[in-house]
Amino acid sequence: MSAAALTALPPGLVWRADQLARPAAEGIPTGFAALDAELPGGGWPRGALIELFAEAPGIGELALLLPTLRAVPAERWIAWIAPPHLPYAPALAAAGVPLEQLLLLTPASHAELLWSIRQALASGACALVLAWLARADGAALRRLQLAAEDSATPLYLFRPIAAARQPSPASLRLRLTADGDALAVAILKRRGPALAAPLRLPLHRPPEPGRSPLPHHALVRPDPVRITAAGIHARGR
Amino acid sequence: MLAVVEGHPRPRVVAATGAARARGVAPGSSLAGALAVAPELQLRTRDPALEAATLAELAAWAGQFTPCVSLDPPHAIVLEVSASLRLFGGAEALARRIEAALPRLGLNAALAAAPTPLAASWFARACPGSVVRFAPGWARRLDPLPVALLAEGGAVSGATLELLHGIGVRRLADAARLPRDALARRQAGAVSDALARARGELPDPRPWFVPPERFASRLVLPACVATTEPLLFAARRLFSGLVAWLAARHAGLDRCRLHLEHDAHPETVLEIVTGQPGRDEARLTLLAREHLAALALPAPVDALRLTADAPARLTPASGDLFGDPAGARDGATLLLERLRARLGAGAGAVHTVHPSPDHRPERAWRNAAPGTRPAPGALGPGPRPLWLLHQPRALDSARSLTLLSGPERIESGWWDGADIRRDYYVARAASAGIWWVFEQLDPPGGWYVHGFFG
Repeated sequence: MSAAALTALPPGLVWRADQLARPAAEGIPTGFAALDAELPGGGWPRGALIELFAEAPGIGELALLLPTLRAVPAERWIAWIAPPHLPYAPALAAAGVPLEQLLLLTPASHAELLWSIRQALASGACALVLAWLARADGAALRRLQLAAEDSATPLYLFRPIAAARQPSPASLRLRLTADGDALAVAILKRRGPALAAPLRLPLHRPPEPGRSPLPHHALVRPDPVRITAAGIHARGR
Repeated sequence: MLAVVEGHPRPRVVAATGAARARGVAPGSSLAGALAVAPELQLRTRDPALEAATLAELAAWAGQFTPCVSLDPPHAIVLEVSASLRLFGGAEALARRIEAALPRLGLNAALAAAPTPLAASWFARACPGSVVRFAPGWARRLDPLPVALLAEGGAVSGATLELLHGIGVRRLADAARLPRDALARRQAGAVSDALARARGELPDPRPWFVPPERFASRLVLPACVATTEPLLFAARRLFSGLVAWLAARHAGLDRCRLHLEHDAHPETVLEIVTGQPGRDEARLTLLAREHLAALALPAPVDALRLTADAPARLTPASGDLFGDPAGARDGATLLLERLRARLGAGAGAVHTVHPSPDHRPERAWRNAAPGTRPAPGALGPGPRPLWLLHQPRALDSARSLTLLSGPERIESGWWDGADIRRDYYVARAASAGIWWVFEQLDPPGGWYVHGFFG
């Protein structure tokens, strides 16, 4: 079949490796135009396993998802399954995440963790599912990918960065690294051609102080003497 | 292979399973004869109380099809369905529905419909599956039925039946031709009365069955069970009964209790909470499955009991032309209940977090039930990280940190003994992550990381 005949085929029937796949459903906007442009469907895929490999805690791995978390439809859960630390309510509230839709799960065992993820997906009652998984074999990942596809719910799986080298059935895999004040997002796998250079997403971090006036009943004050210090070692300790 | 026996001192078989009948164990044969042809036959003594309880359970279950149910002991119930036919799409459709639902109760039945209760039970006995509608001359369909049916329910004594046999009466048609006064002279007037009731010529009032106010049902397992999987199967039977009882009352329940009875051990009670009033058998089964999966049986189970409190009135969901707007909320509640059933109902396993009005970072949040909205309150003054460590982690060396902003002095809590005095900074760690660190001021010295700006 010649190239001309190929292009004449209706779109969606044939996916050319140099183009982004065009899924049936539009993606969920990520809130970052630069990232949307590089994702098939123009956003997070609906009903797919998305693997995120963060280089270190505190580089903005949650800030990447904040626009999505802010925009979840009412009456659906945002499941956080086995988060490694405590999601801090004051910061989440300040970021505009609807806390009444949060569902924090702390399963006692690995089996219960996988069970919880599958239940959260299968119920169709979650807008998105975030899960932190230290270890997973290919079969477990494949089951999760299928469960996400069946339920049309995106599953964000945070995994150790060492696992980025393993093969995976996930439809989207992102490696997150710090790049100055920004977050560098390398797309390891997507339904489309490989991306040459990581995307640089500006995150407004650290977040601005809260907008409320200072309270009176506690000592919360900036120290005018010490603010000149640029680092620990500069303070003569 | 199972047979039910009755009678003393010479027990006789009154019922046998298909496998036993295939080996020649016929109802009516003596126990010795039955054991001679099938030595491995398992025997149960007939328990009339259990039969009556089963009949009452069946009547309560049948309340979902019509409110007018009456018991016809020893082994029939009569449903007055003329008002329900339109809802269920006709007598045949209703019969199919009942037949399809009965196996979930662990029962099977012979069904028949007729214009009078007595005729209906005769047809169910003699030719199950027949549906006789009211039309002129319908009573002639009774004629070919065997005359032995007259003894059903004790309407006609055995002696009268023998008398009829003796004079060559085999069919109801023959009995109907006998002169009424001649029968009455031979103490056999009951025959013409029964025939008249069956044809609708005499009134045949029946007391309606009143379902119990509280649901309680018990199921004795055929053998002791030490694993949870067969228990779920048995529990489904109980749930079927509960759901039908609720349907008859137009009611719903948000909790019920499943008692597992052990032989020599206090019973285990599982509290099944559905989250909102309803009567969804699949939902109850799902929740019971999770409870049973998380359960370690202390001893083998020999009986199950299901009890429930007074139900709440339930307005059934009306059919909606444009999808089901309540469906999403329903799924959300179901997920919550399933997770709670498996992971534990305590606050720790399934929860959300709310801000709490305190300046100490450890106390500026609290656990809350999922779905509850936090109270609107002033936000904290400084930058706060999205991740908080459960315990502040001591830093060996603070030299690798680059302080980005701060300090923010947090000094609070002298009144409850958990006072802190700390200077918080936002710092960039060597790993390039942005951390929330503090310097301990009281006692002085020591740097800790308390959160990550994830």
